[in-house]
Amino acid sequence: MGDMPILRINALTKTFDDFTALHAIDLNVHDGEFLAIVGPSGCGKTTLIRLMVGMEEPSDGAIWLRDQRIDEVPANKRPTCMVFQSLALFPHRTVGQNIEFPLKLRKVPAAERKARALELLALLRLPEDYYGKRIDQCSGGERQRVALARALAFDPEILFFDEPLSALDYRLRKTLEKELRELHLRTGKTFVYITHSLEEAMVMSDRIAIMRAGRFEQIAPGAEIYARPSSTFVAEFMGEVNLFDVSANAGDLTLSGRAAGQFSGQQGTLMIRPESLRILAPEEAAEVAVSGTVTAEYLLGSRIQYAITTAGDKSVTVEVLRENGIDGGPGTPVRIGCGASACHLIAEA
Amino acid sequence: MKTGKFAHAALVFYGILVLAFLYLPLVSVGFASVSKARYLSFPIRKYSTDWYGKAVESDTVRDLLFLSLKVAGIVTLLAMVMGFFGALAFARYQWRYRKLFQKLILLPIFFPQTVLGLALLMWFNAIGVIPSWKTAVVAHLVWIAPIATLVIAIRAYSFDPALEEAARDMGANTWETLREVTIPLLMPGVVSAGLFAFLLSWGNFPLSLFTTGADSTLPEWLYAKMVSGYSPLVPTVGMLSVAASAVLLALGLTAPWLLRSLRKMRS
Repeated sequence: MGDMPILRINALTKTFDDFTALHAIDLNVHDGEFLAIVGPSGCGKTTLIRLMVGMEEPSDGAIWLRDQRIDEVPANKRPTCMVFQSLALFPHRTVGQNIEFPLKLRKVPAAERKARALELLALLRLPEDYYGKRIDQCSGGERQRVALARALAFDPEILFFDEPLSALDYRLRKTLEKELRELHLRTGKTFVYITHSLEEAMVMSDRIAIMRAGRFEQIAPGAEIYARPSSTFVAEFMGEVNLFDVSANAGDLTLSGRAAGQFSGQQGTLMIRPESLRILAPEEAAEVAVSGTVTAEYLLGSRIQYAITTAGDKSVTVEVLRENGIDGGPGTPVRIGCGASACHLIAEA
Repeated sequence: MKTGKFAHAALVFYGILVLAFLYLPLVSVGFASVSKARYLSFPIRKYSTDWYGKAVESDTVRDLLFLSLKVAGIVTLLAMVMGFFGALAFARYQWRYRKLFQKLILLPIFFPQTVLGLALLMWFNAIGVIPSWKTAVVAHLVWIAPIATLVIAIRAYSFDPALEEAARDMGANTWETLREVTIPLLMPGVVSAGLFAFLLSWGNFPLSLFTTGADSTLPEWLYAKMVSGYSPLVPTVGMLSVAASAVLLALGLTAPWLLRSLRKMRS
C-alpha cells in the first residue's frame, strides 16, 4: 500500500432539496489500500460511493483521481468500477458474457475476451464450465464471485463495493469476507468498501472510516479505532463498551496509581472494553476498580459475559474466558478492574 | 386447501359454465361456416367446406385480409416503439411531470371507442385529412399505444435500475446501455405488447368504422354483410380471422421456447 493518495475528496457536499446528505467531507484513499466506510443506515455512505463512481453529481467540492479532477466526468468515462449491493448481474447473459461485458464495450476480440473470462473464473475459484451457465443457475456465493470477476475484467483503478455481502447468510458472508481480503492482497488493487457491518470492515480493511450524519467521525486502522475511539459514538459503534464520566469523579470507579494520575480531574469519558476488565480476587489491587453485583450472565462459547450493576446503579459489562469466570450466578457480589493502559479517555466537547 | 366432493363438483360445473359462456358463440359461428345452406339456420342439416374454398379464392376477401393485416401490422410496429419509450417515461425515469403523464397516457383506454372514433373523424375533417386506412392506423394507435405502454411498463417496473447503472459504470454510453441492457430486458414486455396491439387492431370495429373512409377492414365488412347480403362466407371469413388470431397467439406464446431451441441448435 502506497502513501500516495489515489483518490482525494475535498469539501464534498451533497444536498437533496433541503436535506444535506454530506457536509463538506474530506477523504484521502491511498493507492492499493482496502478502505472500509462504515456507518449506520442513512449516514450518507451510499451517497458518497455514488458520488465517487459518478452516479450522482456533487453539490459542492471536488473529487480527484491522481492528478485528474473527476467529479464532472461521467460515470462511463471514469476508470473506476463498482460491485453493486444487488450485484446487478445481467440476467439475460451467461456468466461468461457477464464477465466479458466491459471487454466487449472496449471492442476486445472475442477469443481474447473468452481467455480473460476463463482466467478470472479461475482466479475467483469458479469451474471453467460456469462460463456458459445462466445467472439464475448460480448460487448466492457464486453470483458474488461472478460480479467480482466482471468488475476485475474492467481492470479499474479503484474497485468500489456497495454492501455486496449484506444479503448473504452468516457463514457464506464470513467465507467471502476472507476471500475478498485475499483477493485484495493478490490483485494489489485499491478497494473502497461500503458496509454497515463493523465486523466485515474489521476483517477486511486496512483502514476504516466511520461515518455519522454525513460526516466522518474517525478514519484510522481498525485496531486503532477500536482501542482509541475519537468519540463515544465511535466507541459504541465499534462494539460493546463501558463508558464512565470521569469529570464526575469517575462515578463508582476507584482510580489509583497511574490511572489516578492520568484520568483524575480530567474532562471526558473513560472507555473500557468488556474484555479488558477482569474479575478481581478479594484483596487484589487494580489501577481501575469497581464493585458491584452480577445481575446476568451470558455464555458466548469459550467466553462468558457478565452484566454487573454497581452501587451507583450503573450497568457494566465484563467478558472473560470461561475458566476465569466467577463461582456463583446472578446476585454474587464482585470486584472488577483493569490496568490504566486498558482505558482510553475520550475528551469530547 | 382441500375441497369436499360437493364443492369440487360445483367448481367443475361452474368452470364448464364459464367456458361455455365464452366459447359457445364462437363454436356456433364455426358450425355456420360449414353449413351448406345459404341462410343461417339451426340445426344444420347439410355440412360443406365449400365456403372456405370460396373465401380463399375471393379477391374481395383477399383484399380485406391484406388491408386488415397492413393496418394491424403498422399499428403493432408503431405501438411497440411508442410503448417502449412511453414505458421508460412511465416507469423507469423520474421526471417532473411523470405523475401527470402516467394519468393522461392511460385516459384514452377508458374513452368509449365510438366517441373516440367520432372525435378523430371530426378532427381529420377539421385538418383536411381524407379518411382512409392510414387514418385508421392513427385512430387505432390512439387507443392501442397506451395499452402497449401499460404492458411494457409492467415489465419496466420489475427492472432493477442498478443494471443500467452497472452498464454505465463499466463504460457503456446511453445507446450501448439501451442496446445491451434495456432493450433485451424489456423485450418480453415489448413482444407481449406487440401481440396485444396486433390482436386489438385486427379485431377492431368501432374505430375502423369511423376512420377508414372508403377503405374497409375485415370486421367492418363482416358487420356490413351481416346487416345486408348474408351468406355463409361471413362466418367462414369470421372463422379464418379467428384462426389467424389463434395462430399469432400460439406463435407469441411459443416464441421464447422456439428461440431457446434455435439458440441451442446453433450452439
